[in-house]
Amino acid sequence: MSVRDLAGTQIRFSDLLRMLVLDVESQEVGRVHDARFVKDGPVQGAFGPGYRLQGLVVGTGSFGARLGFDRASVKGPWPLKAMFRRLHANAKFVDWSQIDSIDGERIRLNVPAASLRPVEPLPS
Amino acid sequence: MRKVLEVSLETLAAIGGFVDIGDIVANSETGARFRMSLAWGGVLGVIGIVLYAEMSGRVATLSHRPVFDLVRERLGARVALVNLVASFFINFLTLTAEIAGVAVTLQLASGINYLAWIPLVALMVWFTMWRVKFSVMEKVYGLLGLALIVTVVAVFRLHEFHTIVREATNLHRPSTEDWPTYFYFAIALFGAAMTPYEVFFFSSGAVEEGWTRKDLMVNRANVYIGFPLGGALSLAIMAGAALLLAPRGISVDHLSQAAIPVTFVLGKLGLGILIFGMGIAFFGAALETGLSGGYIVSQFFGWQWEKFVKPVDAPRFHLVILVSVILAAAFGLTTVDPVKVTEYSIVLSAAALPLTYFPILIIANDPEYMGDKTNSKFSNALGFFYLVLLTAIAIATIPLMIITKAGA
Amino acid sequence: MTDVAKRVIDAGLNLLDRQIIDKDGMMSGNVDDLELTVPEEGGPPVITAILAGPGALARRLGARSGAWLESLHVRLHPSEQPGPARIAFGVVKRVADHVEITVSRSDLDVSRFEKWVRKHVIGKIPGARA
Repeated sequence: MSVRDLAGTQIRFSDLLRMLVLDVESQEVGRVHDARFVKDGPVQGAFGPGYRLQGLVVGTGSFGARLGFDRASVKGPWPLKAMFRRLHANAKFVDWSQIDSIDGERIRLNVPAASLRPVEPLPS
Repeated sequence: MRKVLEVSLETLAAIGGFVDIGDIVANSETGARFRMSLAWGGVLGVIGIVLYAEMSGRVATLSHRPVFDLVRERLGARVALVNLVASFFINFLTLTAEIAGVAVTLQLASGINYLAWIPLVALMVWFTMWRVKFSVMEKVYGLLGLALIVTVVAVFRLHEFHTIVREATNLHRPSTEDWPTYFYFAIALFGAAMTPYEVFFFSSGAVEEGWTRKDLMVNRANVYIGFPLGGALSLAIMAGAALLLAPRGISVDHLSQAAIPVTFVLGKLGLGILIFGMGIAFFGAALETGLSGGYIVSQFFGWQWEKFVKPVDAPRFHLVILVSVILAAAFGLTTVDPVKVTEYSIVLSAAALPLTYFPILIIANDPEYMGDKTNSKFSNALGFFYLVLLTAIAIATIPLMIITKAGA
Repeated sequence: MTDVAKRVIDAGLNLLDRQIIDKDGMMSGNVDDLELTVPEEGGPPVITAILAGPGALARRLGARSGAWLESLHVRLHPSEQPGPARIAFGVVKRVADHVEITVSRSDLDVSRFEKWVRKHVIGKIPGARA
């Protein structure tokens, strides 16, 4: 379904997590490892501004993506840090605006893979 | 002054609470077959548990999260579930072994067959977990477990200290055993010392009792002093077997044989104290294992698990414990050999260690949780070495178990 | 004064699989999944609810174990459409290393299994309320 047709629907985060991401030329970019949210959405009760999706973290090797070496501040031991940093070095950030359609198991982008930014660490 | 007394009490309880049926079986069996040549396996295991317990204690204190909660957080639900199933199963084997072990000590004391004792032991174990306060439990059985010092006394009375030390420090393999068996027993000794349930229990306790930064020193004292001394108790068991069982070709297939060295040196009184110490130690370990099973399942699913709340407020946690104890007793009643179950539980424990150790090592390095108390370079070097070691053990265990027919 | 939550998070890293604590400090499950809603007027989706319990966990666990867990969940919940238990994000008070909510856990759907166990098993054993 194109992004426009998704308006008003619900998506489960766990569904997003397994999806394959293809760029505009149908090249595989990787799989969704995570999604970045910014607290600037509409106000939700006591919580205040809700978390609005900014973009997706897409990468190839998936093991250890949540350990925190690359995107958070875990400091060591250094052999593990070196190993996991390398494993996730080519993770790419896909902005919501770069997504063309989401359906079943695939996300198609409207840009080529080369124009994707690398993933920045989270602000602490 | 009062603080010093309290710390000493806790450290003593840590010593007495260290030994369980895995240590008794592993050390006496190994001593009887390999004399002191595998002492290094036990030492490696003790260093490992000191490292692991200190890290998880520190992590639990600063993050207020116990081990399994963090396992799921860092590894995700799927990997954590595999982890949970494996850990729970091994925990269950250990629980069965400890309950059966208490029953066997009661058989040694009374002459009544251990099978008849199992239901009563299971009931007492469950009841203690149901009603008795955590801190009271730990101190009581830890201090009473010091009765096992009788094993050290027995070894000293044999006046063969030089022989033991010489053999232990001379890295060699007895010609009567082959390499695979040698390493299989090393893994068993290692797994008997570096037990995961100890860490699940320890870190959950730290969170439950609300340890703060001020308690870190106490935690370290317990771990750095208490555990190695507990390990020394285990080595005394190995030494007793090495000096008295090995020369006579007596192997250990039953707990009664593990008691021979002390009986030989200290007579009936020594035996009585030993049986008491073993019974207490196994009972305490059964409590820890039973609670650990409840902790890990509850922590994975996010259920209420603290023992501080009334049972009605943590019903699923108590259900897990109740069912575990019933099933462990049932398994014991199938006349499965307690020593064999123990052997499997310690070896599989060793093999499963990387799963739970790895996330703790990571979080111990995460300043968001640890603040300024992340691992030092030394801890990381040692920690990484152990990660590699644990992974090697995990890979080698099942093949070795098959090749050596589980150490036959 | 600590912030309610960080301004930028990665949901997998910071939100998923975290312990939920209710207004009385009791443990109320884990964040098993998240519900994202795409606004009617378009634009990026917003996290609208936390999903918890076996119904939610089943999807995350994938094929076999998930299907088994889901069938267990169905059997324990005699209502017609057993979905995951849903905690609207509006009741979230704080997101730190755990998630704090403003309601009591007995108000949440997640606790139906717990209530059953309390009523039929644990509650019946003497000393349960001591």
